[in-house]
Amino acid sequence: MDFKSFRKKSPWILHYNTGSCNGCDIEILACLSPKYDVERFGILNRGNPKQSDILLVTGPVTKRAKERLLRLYFEMPEPKVVVAVGACACSGGVFRHMYNVENGVDKVIPVDVYVPGCAARPEAIIDGLIKALEILKSKGKDLELPSWCKADVKPPVNRAKLLNSCLEEFHGCRRD
Amino acid sequence: MEKIVYSLFLVPWVLALAVFLLPGARFHRLRQLITFLSLPALSFLTYLVWNGHLPLQIETPRWLNLAFTVYDYGLLLYFLYQGIKFRDFLVTVLALFQLFLLTWILLIMPESSVPDFYVDRLSAFMFLIVSTVGTLICIYATKYMEQENLERENRFVAILLWFLGVMNLAVSVNNIEWFFALFETTTLASYILIRFRWDEVSIKNALRALWMNQIGGIAILLGLLFGIKYYSFTHFTQFLSLSGKPAIVMIPLGFLAVSALVKGAQMPFHRWLLGAMVAPTPVSAILHSATMVKIAPYLILRLSPVIKGTLLAKLLIITTGFVFVGAGLLALTQENFKKILAYSTISLLGLMMLTASMGSSMAILASLTLILFHAVVKALLFMEAGVMEKLFKAKYIEDIRRLVERAPITVAFTSIGFMSMTIVPYGIFVSKWMAIEEASNFLSHGAYVGSIIFMATGGVILALLYFKVIGVMTRKRGEFLKFQLEKVPFAYLFSTVPLVLFVIVGSIFIAKLLCLSVNPVVEAVIGTPAPIIAKGLTLITPVSELYGWQIIGAFVLLLIVPILAYFVHFTGTDRVYEYTCGEKLELNIGTYNFFCIQVVEPFVETAAVALFILTLVLGGGLV
Amino acid sequence: MSYWTAFILTLFSPVIGGFIYGLERIVRARMQGRVGPPLLQPFYDFFKLMDKRSIIIHSFHAFMGVMYLIGTWFALFVLLSGGDLLIAIFFHVLSLAFLVVGGFSVRSPYSVIGAMRELLHMVAYEPLYVLSATALYLVTGTFQVSGILHSEHVPLIYLPLLFIAVLFSLPAILKKSPFDTAEAHQEIIGGPEIEYSGKFYEAVYTAKWIEYVYAFFFIFLFAGGNHILGALLIIFAFFFFNLLDNVTARVNFRQMVAFHWYILIPLAVTNLMLIALWRS
Ligand code: SF4
Repeated sequence: MDFKSFRKKSPWILHYNTGSCNGCDIEILACLSPKYDVERFGILNRGNPKQSDILLVTGPVTKRAKERLLRLYFEMPEPKVVVAVGACACSGGVFRHMYNVENGVDKVIPVDVYVPGCAARPEAIIDGLIKALEILKSKGKDLELPSWCKADVKPPVNRAKLLNSCLEEFHGCRRD
Repeated sequence: MEKIVYSLFLVPWVLALAVFLLPGARFHRLRQLITFLSLPALSFLTYLVWNGHLPLQIETPRWLNLAFTVYDYGLLLYFLYQGIKFRDFLVTVLALFQLFLLTWILLIMPESSVPDFYVDRLSAFMFLIVSTVGTLICIYATKYMEQENLERENRFVAILLWFLGVMNLAVSVNNIEWFFALFETTTLASYILIRFRWDEVSIKNALRALWMNQIGGIAILLGLLFGIKYYSFTHFTQFLSLSGKPAIVMIPLGFLAVSALVKGAQMPFHRWLLGAMVAPTPVSAILHSATMVKIAPYLILRLSPVIKGTLLAKLLIITTGFVFVGAGLLALTQENFKKILAYSTISLLGLMMLTASMGSSMAILASLTLILFHAVVKALLFMEAGVMEKLFKAKYIEDIRRLVERAPITVAFTSIGFMSMTIVPYGIFVSKWMAIEEASNFLSHGAYVGSIIFMATGGVILALLYFKVIGVMTRKRGEFLKFQLEKVPFAYLFSTVPLVLFVIVGSIFIAKLLCLSVNPVVEAVIGTPAPIIAKGLTLITPVSELYGWQIIGAFVLLLIVPILAYFVHFTGTDRVYEYTCGEKLELNIGTYNFFCIQVVEPFVETAAVALFILTLVLGGGLV
Repeated sequence: MSYWTAFILTLFSPVIGGFIYGLERIVRARMQGRVGPPLLQPFYDFFKLMDKRSIIIHSFHAFMGVMYLIGTWFALFVLLSGGDLLIAIFFHVLSLAFLVVGGFSVRSPYSVIGAMRELLHMVAYEPLYVLSATALYLVTGTFQVSGILHSEHVPLIYLPLLFIAVLFSLPAILKKSPFDTAEAHQEIIGGPEIEYSGKFYEAVYTAKWIEYVYAFFFIFLFAGGNHILGALLIIFAFFFFNLLDNVTARVNFRQMVAFHWYILIPLAVTNLMLIALWRS
């Protein structure tokens, strides 16, 4: 039986703020409110990476947040998609080139959909989510890695070890 | 037949003497062998008694009476000496008071021709527990003491064996004065055993156990005194003849019941049993399971035909029910593993006495089932506590964290022990179930409604307690890399495995067990057997049925599956770390200690005191 | 109820429970002025979870999740098969034991807290259910579920206060607001179920649907032999507890236990004693 078609019908989201100004987060929550009501599409805000399909990231990824982001990303089971919400998450936005940020989510983890706007409008976010659902449907169940992470993995994966080897590559010897 | 009964007391004493006379490390094996002999010997004797013609009344020569009197005086003088030696005011004063009362009783004691030994099925039932569970604990103790203090092992094991004989004697006497002597002898035994390590705490706790139990002794003496005054009764069987008579004077019965409450460590007299944990673990095992505290439900069971339906019984129901809940609550706050077990003993003793004082045949059945299974399970749990202490140096809940990674056998046995005290198919559950259903027949009495509330809440509190402990034990860091059993000494396995097997097999065949073994005892206690039928594994009670498939199903879920869980490996799946909001943390997971409950401790104790006095004053008819 | 009907009903209980849950999500959305997901949404979730890559902490934990499903299923069968009501209640405890042990078996703070709260839930509602079993016995004269279902009397008429008490503790058994401390999605993110994912979470998720059937069947018993009234009661209870879920905030566990012990249980006991006194 092909379950792929059900992926579109019940995406559960995890929402993570990597140091945004909270503008985009409020817009995301507005999507859940009666006016926009994304639960129509079966979308639930689970708040738990282990049971989520879509990672909604806001903010420019501060240096402090990047390891957390990576941890959360590895905790999510495949298939999964990442949606960068807001200008900050797409490219760093108003925080770009500051000493403490990574200039966007795609510097850390692979991003599937970019939702622009400062702050991103709820309509845009919903649009982005729908786009993400298309991508989710086409994805396989193989492990996804950030492009910079060269760790060789063979299933079954021990994600704690994977995270550590990735982080070592990422930081060199520097760890925070 | 008489000889068999006598040998039930004498054999343990002879063995004890033999063990005592073989000191030193050299004779360790020999002592173990002698101790081991007690198991087949006593079991065989009990088997003979059980199959013999019961009830048995034994006339004794007059000199025995005299000997008991002399022994009484000697014992009380010894207490007095201990009180003076350790400068303990309470012990001294209570011993003096006991001497005074005893003298008074002897002065007005009427001549009676009632036989002084009365061995019925209830006694045989107690023999059964003592001679199996008790001797297993002795065998366990030989190994335990080998690891602790080989020099004093002979002394320790000898006392334990002697204690078994005393216990056998205590449940078969009919004369209340003799019963008092043996009651105080068990007090003496517990005093010596608790004191065994001879450090400051031990002596303090031993003295506390002494004076608290002396109060029980005084209650017996007062009961006897009033029994003589009102009825010139000096024997249990004489009291039994009162049953069914309207308007009886309750004072003697009230005092006897109170002595049972004291011996059964019911609040506010629970501290002596808690204090017993300073002694080596076999002491706790033997005090909590086979001997000592079991005198309490035994005494209530003896009296239950007389007190059934009276105000005393109802007050006893409320008091013991309250202790059932209260002790469970206080157990939640404890961190020491043995203390948790001790509180749960107190709590379950409350339940035993509650059901015993309800007095109907089903309730008595429930009470006896509880006594049987509780003895087995508590012995098992305390032995496992000893194993944890000796092999894994774990005394507190914090120490047994993630024990499952190191000690699968110990954890499995302990979990079976804990689960068998609350969860569905096990014997203790069955008796609770029967008791609740029995109590539902009398809902127009406040006491019975109270008993249902107490049973429901107390049971669930104990479940909370046990799962808290099981949860701490079964926590794991990751996969079992390779399944490896810990090395448990043979003597430990020898004494625990039979208990585990009994719990499991006895619970599966609970219907047969109740019909064939426990129901005759019920008949002996109140004259009519409980109306239960065993059909295959199915147990049919007057109002309901416990189906065989339910028992089997629950066992499959509870036993086979978690053991399977050791071997189930989802090899193809990814492993991941725990969710911690994305933070990298050193996890150090503790457990809930319910400190908030400590606030209610004074209230619980005050209420227990109030209920105690109420039982004595209203139930005993002192007004 | 014969064994076969009970068996078939038990077999299809996830489907029934799934529909109840789907309906609940719609009703809840409507109460909040939203449109809500489609009715079949729980099943979409179910099939989606089938398709996820499973990641687990360790096998024991994952296995306990599966056992929770099986245990709940078995407990429901014990209830539906018409046996003793008290035993069915205690079987429910047994099934929860798996969830709790599973929750305790990982070194996750949320999971451990959640498992502990799960036990406290049990402490809160369990005595009430035992009391209601005895109350049903008092009215119908039997502990057997099949007997209650064919009884002449309608227990609801005799036990109004007890029914109210059970109604108010329904959120505690199903872990809905105000008594959802064990799950508390905003606080401990699902409690004992947090570390499950993929197929193993699916087991836990389905077990919760079965619990819906379990809880609502308990409500059904209050109508005795009058099955139409029973259906009405279920519908009423369904809407009532959704309303309660929507209009209340979460209480902490002490308030939950206190509410059950000091308000609901006395309420039930009052009812019980009045009936018993009246009957005797
Ligand atoms: S994109 Fe704008 S609104 Fe959104 S987080 Fe960044 S600064 Fe705030």
